[in-house]
Amino acid sequence: MTVPRGAASAGTAAVRCRSVGVSFGTVRALHSVSLDLAPARIHALVGQNGAGNTTLAKVLGGLQTPDAGDVHIAGRKLPPGDVRSARAAGLAMVHQHFSLPPSFTIAEALELTAARPEGRSVYRRAELHRRWHEDVADVGGTAALSTRIRDLPVETRQSLEIVRALTTEARILVLDEPTALLTPAAIEALFERLRRLRDDGITVLIVLHKLREVVAVADTVSVLREGELVLGPVEMSEATQGQISDAIVGPASGADRSIGVAAATGAEHPTLLELVRVSSRESAFEPGLRSVDLSVESGEIVGVAGVEGNGQRGLVSVIAGLGAAIEGSVLLGGSEATRSPPGRRRSRGLRLVPFDRNSEGISRSAPLWLNQSALRLIGRRRRRSPLISLRDYKRQATEALDHWQVRYNAVTQPAESLSGGNMQRLILARELAPGLEVLVAAQPTRGLDFSATSFVRRSLRGLRDAGAGVLLVSSDLDELFELSDRLLVMYGGQIVARLEAPFDRRAVGDAMTGASR
Amino acid sequence: MTGGLQRVVSTLVLVGVSFCLTALILWISGYSVGEVFSGIIQGSVTATGAATSSIRWSIPLLLIGLGVVIGFRAGFFNIGGQGQFYVGACSALAVSLGWSGGPALLVVLCGTLAAIGAGTAWSLLPGYLRVRFGTDEVLTTLMMSFIGTLVLQYLTAGPMRNPSGTGQTAASERIPEGFRITDSSGVSPTVLVLVGGVAVLVWLLLERTRFGLAMTLVGRNPTMARWQGIDVRRVGLGAFALSGALAGLAGAVELYGPGARLVTGFSPEVGFTAVVVALVGLLSVWGTVVSAVFFGGLQSAILFLPIVTDLPPPALVLLHGMVAFLVTVRFRAIRLRPATSAEEALAD
Repeated sequence: MTVPRGAASAGTAAVRCRSVGVSFGTVRALHSVSLDLAPARIHALVGQNGAGNTTLAKVLGGLQTPDAGDVHIAGRKLPPGDVRSARAAGLAMVHQHFSLPPSFTIAEALELTAARPEGRSVYRRAELHRRWHEDVADVGGTAALSTRIRDLPVETRQSLEIVRALTTEARILVLDEPTALLTPAAIEALFERLRRLRDDGITVLIVLHKLREVVAVADTVSVLREGELVLGPVEMSEATQGQISDAIVGPASGADRSIGVAAATGAEHPTLLELVRVSSRESAFEPGLRSVDLSVESGEIVGVAGVEGNGQRGLVSVIAGLGAAIEGSVLLGGSEATRSPPGRRRSRGLRLVPFDRNSEGISRSAPLWLNQSALRLIGRRRRRSPLISLRDYKRQATEALDHWQVRYNAVTQPAESLSGGNMQRLILARELAPGLEVLVAAQPTRGLDFSATSFVRRSLRGLRDAGAGVLLVSSDLDELFELSDRLLVMYGGQIVARLEAPFDRRAVGDAMTGASR
Repeated sequence: MTGGLQRVVSTLVLVGVSFCLTALILWISGYSVGEVFSGIIQGSVTATGAATSSIRWSIPLLLIGLGVVIGFRAGFFNIGGQGQFYVGACSALAVSLGWSGGPALLVVLCGTLAAIGAGTAWSLLPGYLRVRFGTDEVLTTLMMSFIGTLVLQYLTAGPMRNPSGTGQTAASERIPEGFRITDSSGVSPTVLVLVGGVAVLVWLLLERTRFGLAMTLVGRNPTMARWQGIDVRRVGLGAFALSGALAGLAGAVELYGPGARLVTGFSPEVGFTAVVVALVGLLSVWGTVVSAVFFGGLQSAILFLPIVTDLPPPALVLLHGMVAFLVTVRFRAIRLRPATSAEEALAD
């Protein structure tokens, strides 16, 4: 199949974006993205998390109103942020997370979302089944139409999402990370299906994170980085894998290689945290860990890189004791902790900076002093009196918050009144207190502005220099390169690469996207 | 502090509005509003024995209401106080009748402990279902409450029925006079000291112990509490247990105090009114004390009113309902966590 590209196709582009920009507060999610997608082709859109892929997909689908620019479908301008007209123009979205109601049967779910409402609001079961039989047979789905969505295996649910999208008579299909939850065999089946749809003249835009998958399915590839289109769309035949992974991770920024040289050699460095062949169950959003080996010694920062959703959450929750390891063991300070509850692990010096400040890191409605004192509430402490002194709690909280330069008015104010950067300082003030042996920091600078970010990074470095061990999970490669003494790359629940400073961006990028496998 | 003051004022305003609305309804129905309201004042404060009666009714409301406060603190809504109150009273009765020859102090102590145990058990079952399976505790505590009511009916109409009783409602035999801690007025120094002591203990527990602070954190954000290493299930079970224990205790106080025997369906609304008491008390211990006295006075007035006006008692229950409704409408979910759109976008 040959389709003219470039300027010649501009008039006939199936989808055309013109200088699309989206900002959330001070965060720029998309900046002046212009993109033409030729009809009847499979276009891959790749980029790191937070690069703007999903936001762009949402703009196309009318789920996100752009601040600037516009979207044309088949030459006609779409009103911004209008799902119905996007759908009417023949564009259908398949979302990252399943959107069909789990308690419905297949037939009911399809009827619910169908674009061709056939008459009555009262229906008979047999009639429904007759209507939807063909569509589902199309998927090669052997599932009975009366099966409930929640009882279906993941890949069938995924195919049904596509069936649902196509029932709207779509000519353009936008898939947002459809492979995240699928097994390799199911991914191949999905790709085969997409190829058939393309051959039927349907335009496909697919958001992917793995180079291998891009190579397997895409006709063209476009790369977003920090909200800007940095590559493409280019024909797959004209792009090398190296070029694409460079575009994804960005150019090296000078500082990379100079910092992060291993700490003093020869000195005694006890292992503070160790995972031995740890496996865990998969979650709704992530593959489970598969035989993960990892150790963090005193006086080092170990970085964990990887595209989000490759087991980082599972890793942190197994270390924290919030999720169970089904195999292998977790050691804290050299002794067994696999079965210890979270509270015991924290009493033994494990500290955490969770992924999501707002829900996991703080209690928004609780006063600052109570947020700050959470660590004092666990573990056994033998005291003469069961009663505590609030004045003492508040005084200690005040000291800690002042020391960490949190900006606040009174320790009794609720934590939600703080800015993002100050919330993170509050968390650090609590976690980086005496008693810390090893810190697991998950996305510690996400969403923070420049000064807050450099404050957090300084704190982590100071911690390392003071002899603590740090496991830093981040999707910011620059941050990882700057801080880590060693770097691990996660992919599909496994650690696929172990690198020492100085780091090679290409190698990291390849490992993250699975290109090196 | 201004936020707290504002909440107190707005609650008082709502109670005032409820009075006005009730007055409006009474006026439309052709009653003399002035007469009814002077009846309320008489029935709750000025008439002979009215103040005592108000206190008598506020005692079970306070004890059960404090239990509701504890549950809420940990994020749970125990509305099954009625059933926990009944099974508590039944257990105390069983101990007292079964061992009616024993030394009074010992029997009353055992009976009270039995009541606390029964109330605890009645609340722990829904509590376990909640922390283990996530079963909605509003449904389970309510259903357990109905079972508790039926247990009381069965016992007073069956095994514990006083065979010589001739009244229309089934009632148990009376416990020996020596076991009682008040006369039939329901108020005595012993009871007041007991209830006051309980209120102080609950306040200390919630505000001055590590367990109380842990409950607060769990109630406000269980996810964060889990990350902090707090055993959320243990804290949840503890809150349910204490909540039921207080309702059970209220049952024992009712039996050894004004009741002396159990009548089918006695104090039928006290467990549910207690939830309103806790909400009007802004889920604080001392607020609940004030609000319990207010609702106790209202209950006393309801019983007194038919003496001075031709108003049927349910007309004043209307006032109850109005307060409950308005306060509940205003009551905001304590676990409110709006995510900003920037974070949503970054969580792609």
